[in-house]
Amino acid sequence: MFASLFGSLGDVLHLQYLIPLTIGTLAGLIGGALPGVTITMTIIIVLPFTFGLDPLAGLAAMVGVYVGGESGGLVTASLIGIPGTPSAVATTFDGFPMARRGEPGRAVWLGTWASFIGGLLGAFFLILTTEPLARFALRFGPWEYFSLFIFALAMVAGLTERSLLKGFLSGALGLIVTVIGADPIMAVPRLTMGSEFLRGGFQFLPVLIGIFAFAQIMTDLEHMARGRPQVQVQTSSLAVSHLAVIWEILSRPFLLLWSTLIGLWIGVLPAIGGSAANVMAYDQAKKFSKHPEKFGTGIPEGIIAAEASNNANVAGSLVTIMAFGIPGDAVTAVMLGAMIIHGIQPGPLFIVQEPRLAYGIFAAYLLAHPIMIVLQWLLAHVYLRIVQVSKAILIPLILVLCVIGAYALNNTMDNVYALLLFGVIGYLFVKFGFPLAPFILGVILGDQIEINLVRAIMTDADPWLFITRPISGVMLGLSVLSVALALWQHRRTEARLAESAEPDVDF
Amino acid sequence: MLSRDGIAGLACLGGSLWFLALTRGLPHPALVPVGPAFYPRILLTITALLSAALVVSDLVRRRGAARPAPVRYGFVLLTFAIFGVYVALLPSLGYRVATFLFVGGLQATLERPRGRRWGLVLAVALVTTLATYYVFEGYLSVLLPRGRLSGF
Repeated sequence: MFASLFGSLGDVLHLQYLIPLTIGTLAGLIGGALPGVTITMTIIIVLPFTFGLDPLAGLAAMVGVYVGGESGGLVTASLIGIPGTPSAVATTFDGFPMARRGEPGRAVWLGTWASFIGGLLGAFFLILTTEPLARFALRFGPWEYFSLFIFALAMVAGLTERSLLKGFLSGALGLIVTVIGADPIMAVPRLTMGSEFLRGGFQFLPVLIGIFAFAQIMTDLEHMARGRPQVQVQTSSLAVSHLAVIWEILSRPFLLLWSTLIGLWIGVLPAIGGSAANVMAYDQAKKFSKHPEKFGTGIPEGIIAAEASNNANVAGSLVTIMAFGIPGDAVTAVMLGAMIIHGIQPGPLFIVQEPRLAYGIFAAYLLAHPIMIVLQWLLAHVYLRIVQVSKAILIPLILVLCVIGAYALNNTMDNVYALLLFGVIGYLFVKFGFPLAPFILGVILGDQIEINLVRAIMTDADPWLFITRPISGVMLGLSVLSVALALWQHRRTEARLAESAEPDVDF
Repeated sequence: MLSRDGIAGLACLGGSLWFLALTRGLPHPALVPVGPAFYPRILLTITALLSAALVVSDLVRRRGAARPAPVRYGFVLLTFAIFGVYVALLPSLGYRVATFLFVGGLQATLERPRGRRWGLVLAVALVTTLATYYVFEGYLSVLLPRGRLSGF
């Protein structure tokens, strides 16, 4: 295991891989710092640039974006009080007060070094657990896979805060998208209404790009005022004693480890994402603290917990995608698409059949952290100025890159039409309060759910096998449990949500 | 009176029932236990039930008098329209011409330029078009659409 890892570290240090990794990390830092541009959006923008690259170089760029994005959000969160990404929300609570108190360098670097350490601790988990989990998943038959995917979908749909019904309906609609076109067993066209456009079905990447990009851009446009952005960037010095900052973090080992574990756990669970990890770790740090009343006034514990957890979350998400082929969140959903484009089928066979690529991803993840530190040190002030670029310039550029991303998949306009169609659908989802995550997971897992269901029935028509086979039964039991838990939790939160009637966007 | 949830539920119910009706025309093979209609029927039945439940829950739910925040739907519709025209023109005008027009047009729509700012709008449109074209075609070997009418 470690021999493969060291070999891959040597590979990724070659310029062929190091340059995409560095550019990806920089793009992630900038995208993460830009309020309104999420990491998912940054990955979507970077994706078409990886099409012509070697698979490992392309995936290294993606990993760089992911790691950089989680750290970039903290800069704007700390210096201007606006989280660059949802996964830096809790960083704002203490980062901004600390910066306003006259310690902007300490706020930014506490977050950056906590991200670095949390990320590296997460890397150990990623490297040590992915292969054993993948080997365990190799025992799965179609019954187990079907049940695992149902469990993932049930969990994600159940996590929808505003309406449980809409969460499940959203997931079901995502599954329907995969039914349109040729069936996977006999290639009979289904639900195409005689249309040539629908006959080939929808590739999931244009669907995903359309749904996420338009949902976000159009929601931003609804509230966009004409004229220059109002963001004022403080350009005071970020100089700080790095040893003192690192010691400040390492002198709180319990906080660091606990926040990292929370980040990892949230990352492993399908489609919850870094924002939940960030807020949950902050909340836990406050609960365990001897002085909880000081949280929110600019104390280091708040920044450390929030930032260590969201970078560890990346490692957790990578475990799920690499061991089971299930995206841990929206970002890994796009990464899964990128892997498929590069001819890789994520899942338990991936690490066994493609060890060079799998360990290359681990190596890229490890190396992205020191690269992130160096870029943060060199360029924090430079890319912070990009925050001031008008959205009138950014939005057309993003949309053009979305079109290229969709078109370049197989050089056909059909994918661009699909992008537009699902852009409209994505916006309607937001307007009607439907969560996007279950829909996307439905689109990603739909084919696999159908194939494994049909395969299981063709192997043995006894439907009880889904329950009587131990792993499958446990997965289905957990699915029922997660729905029941979600129902119980939903009843508790319904009263609270009724008070805030303002529509909310649930990405 | 139905709210957003009820309307969405009705639309999903109608769509899933329509698709369910379409599955009746699918063949049933004699040699395998399940045909191409097997999985869609299960899925569409579940979707129809969930949609109906959403409509019913909307009808029985008490509603507050909350008023949504004012939003600029005109802006959104205009952006969708401009993007739609861009997508429609891509095969005819080709990537370079259509993208230049799109980036310039959308910028001018989102932030109305006056005087010298027109220069910036045109410069951004030109740089975006040329930079993306040369990076993708030249460096990344991604072929971008050629125009049927423009010839490039």
